[in-house]
Amino acid sequence: MKKFVIGAVSALSLMTSAAIAQDYPTKEIQGIIQWGAGGSTDTVMRAVTPHAEDVLGGTVVMQNMTGGVGAIALNHVANEDADGYKLLMGAENPLLYKVMGLGDKDYSDFVPINILARGTAILVANNDAPFDDYAGMMAYIAENPGELRIGSTGPGGLPSVVTAMIETVEGELDVISIPYDGDGPALTALQGGAIDVMPAVLGASIEAIKAGNMKPLAIMDTTANEYLPGVPAVTDFNEGFATYLPWGPFFGVFVKQGTDEAIVSKLQGAYAEAATNQDFVDLMASRGFTLMNISGDEAQSFLTKWQQGTSWLLQDAGLTKASPEEFGIARPGE
Amino acid sequence: MDAFLAFFTIFTHLELLLLVGLGTFAGVYVGAIPGLSVTMAVSILISFTFSWDVLPAISLMIGIYMGGVYGGSRTAILLNIPGAPSAIATALDGYPMAQRGEAGEAIGTTTVMSFFGGLIGIGVLALLAPFVSDFALKFQPRDYMLLAVLGILLVGSLSSGSLIKGIFAGAFGIAIGAVGMDPLTFTERFTFDIPLMRGGINFIAVMIGMFGVSEALMQLHHVNKDAVRQQINRIVPSFGTIKKYLPLSLQTSSLGVIIGALPGTGGDIAALMAYDHAKRVTKNPERPFGEGAMEGLVAPETANNAAVGGAFIPMMTLGIPGDAVTAIMIGALFIHGLNPGPMLMIEKPDMFWFIVGALVCANFFMLLFGLTGIKLFTKIVEMPRAVLIPLILLLSIVGAYAVNNSITDVYWMLGFGVIGYMMRHYGYPLGPVILGVILSRLLDDNWRRAIISEREDLGRFFHGIFTSPLSLVLFMAVVLIFVSQTPLWTKFRKKESS
Repeated sequence: MKKFVIGAVSALSLMTSAAIAQDYPTKEIQGIIQWGAGGSTDTVMRAVTPHAEDVLGGTVVMQNMTGGVGAIALNHVANEDADGYKLLMGAENPLLYKVMGLGDKDYSDFVPINILARGTAILVANNDAPFDDYAGMMAYIAENPGELRIGSTGPGGLPSVVTAMIETVEGELDVISIPYDGDGPALTALQGGAIDVMPAVLGASIEAIKAGNMKPLAIMDTTANEYLPGVPAVTDFNEGFATYLPWGPFFGVFVKQGTDEAIVSKLQGAYAEAATNQDFVDLMASRGFTLMNISGDEAQSFLTKWQQGTSWLLQDAGLTKASPEEFGIARPGE
Repeated sequence: MDAFLAFFTIFTHLELLLLVGLGTFAGVYVGAIPGLSVTMAVSILISFTFSWDVLPAISLMIGIYMGGVYGGSRTAILLNIPGAPSAIATALDGYPMAQRGEAGEAIGTTTVMSFFGGLIGIGVLALLAPFVSDFALKFQPRDYMLLAVLGILLVGSLSSGSLIKGIFAGAFGIAIGAVGMDPLTFTERFTFDIPLMRGGINFIAVMIGMFGVSEALMQLHHVNKDAVRQQINRIVPSFGTIKKYLPLSLQTSSLGVIIGALPGTGGDIAALMAYDHAKRVTKNPERPFGEGAMEGLVAPETANNAAVGGAFIPMMTLGIPGDAVTAIMIGALFIHGLNPGPMLMIEKPDMFWFIVGALVCANFFMLLFGLTGIKLFTKIVEMPRAVLIPLILLLSIVGAYAVNNSITDVYWMLGFGVIGYMMRHYGYPLGPVILGVILSRLLDDNWRRAIISEREDLGRFFHGIFTSPLSLVLFMAVVLIFVSQTPLWTKFRKKESS
């Protein structure tokens, strides 16, 4: 009898769960974008979501919630019910919250719906800089210690990771690091000569490079990039970078851990189809992003690998507030 | 030449013309409500116009932008509550005019002069864009810092009465602006380990509280007094009036274009600097500044509308946003398959001319809607206070909530409302608080960038100032303005003239 009751109850709950997923979405879904309107994350999310809406047959209302390097948005969604009606639309930053002391939650509290695309980093320099490639820059730093001004966007940002990577491979760099609010303002400052070199995401600098307003030094990847042929990969100068590359920021859609599996797979299906839409594919190409469109275990292992590699890179460069070990983030390869 | 023809596209397509008109109309009202900002409206439009073609989408956004920058002056004049940060200076002389029953005249003149400022901004965008953007790029962190110091010196102009109280208010504002996680080092400042404080205190919430709620509380003191009757026969200013303010408008508009074109500063700072400029160059105003001087109204309004054209300059020539609204527009252009950047002007010059045309068109619509709705608007101030006060409170709450859809902002807003009320009661000016909040980050971040790039060496820092012509000019301006406000200088001037 007892067994029967348990069986009946679980069958019932399975049925209701299936019914919930069947009807989903019955109301508006809210998409919380971690970054401001007009930025990279915002553009990616607003470009892909309307196509996902078509597949879902519902509406996703997107809203920008900025602040705390995206932590405010992440905590907001983490504090809501896991009913699939709040999506978190974010970038790579949360994977570093724990080691950077920015919060106690990260993507491990979420289920990835889709990792849409990833960006490639590039080193660019002011046109008047007295060198034309990565090797020239390293030679200049060696000859003029403490003179080169490199832009950054605060600890944990893309420039800090790229700089940490260079220091790990090449040894300590004697340069001046000047912090900016984001890569937009820093690239503006680069063109005005306030800084000499900036590690930036390819998409943010590609138009200015094509126009000849700044010069590319090296692509931070193992191969040259299809959008900027002719610019050498950094591994052409030093093989040592191959250990850490390819690396780049990424954009993904998430729901809270504990969301009904049927709803998760419905959302995964919708975004997977949306990411193949030609308009979206073209937009990613024009901004220099590499399309990924992965979900499930593949996305999970991508996130784990990214978090391990980057956390330990920052830890070894002395930029973290807490060791990755404390949070059970293993050193890559261990 | 073919590209230039795109300038007329907007005037020959009824659909686009209507969209610009609709946008401008909506913008005037969105701008007039404190808390509903142009930035917010344009970001909502991004998803709304996602499936549209690029031209209609841009037309609507430009209309909202132009109308919204102008709309902020409405509530500033009528209710002493600036609808947007760029209208703070407008309230200083606009509200006293409304108190004398001259709201119609104040709004009429504001509208015509805003139109004039807007045209200057667009003119510079159309003819001199590459030169201005080259100039704007020359600004180093050091120069931004000097600009912010110049701005801080405006405290003197914004505090009627006690300068000490003005300085206190300004310092308070700078402290408010410093709250939150420092974006350069991720160090928490004044957050007391409360996660919600990390994002800082929303500056719009501070503004709505300080001006909106505190105004409502002040009005409670004379809730039974009859409202001022408004004369609305003189709305459109005479040609003589326009001619009289023309020289001043030209100066303040030029100031507006440049401040608008600088990435990192926008219409709010431009308007405050223009107000200060007017106060300095106007020898004999008909009425003292702060009591309803027309110059105090004309200067900020021409400057903030000229800043619109200015903000488009780096956006069109380099793909660099001149302010928050153009930043969102760049995102919109990306979504619509264009690549805003330095190549846009070369590859798609017709887009540039289309935007110039849409701006001109929006500017005309602004004049039209600005001059027609006045009678209805002035009725607001003639409402009984028992109706008006709850209305102001309601709008303040909605506005503060709308900024981030966050109830925390409403609490901040109410708290600063009470602080603002107390400050008014004891004769502390509110303008410097907002000035401090606006300039806090500009000053702090750029000072740090400037000194870090000189390897924290003050000698090298000053050497940099004296070897760069731009920095030197700004530095001299800071020194001159500072000295001219000391008692020593006044004594010297008196001796000279006697």
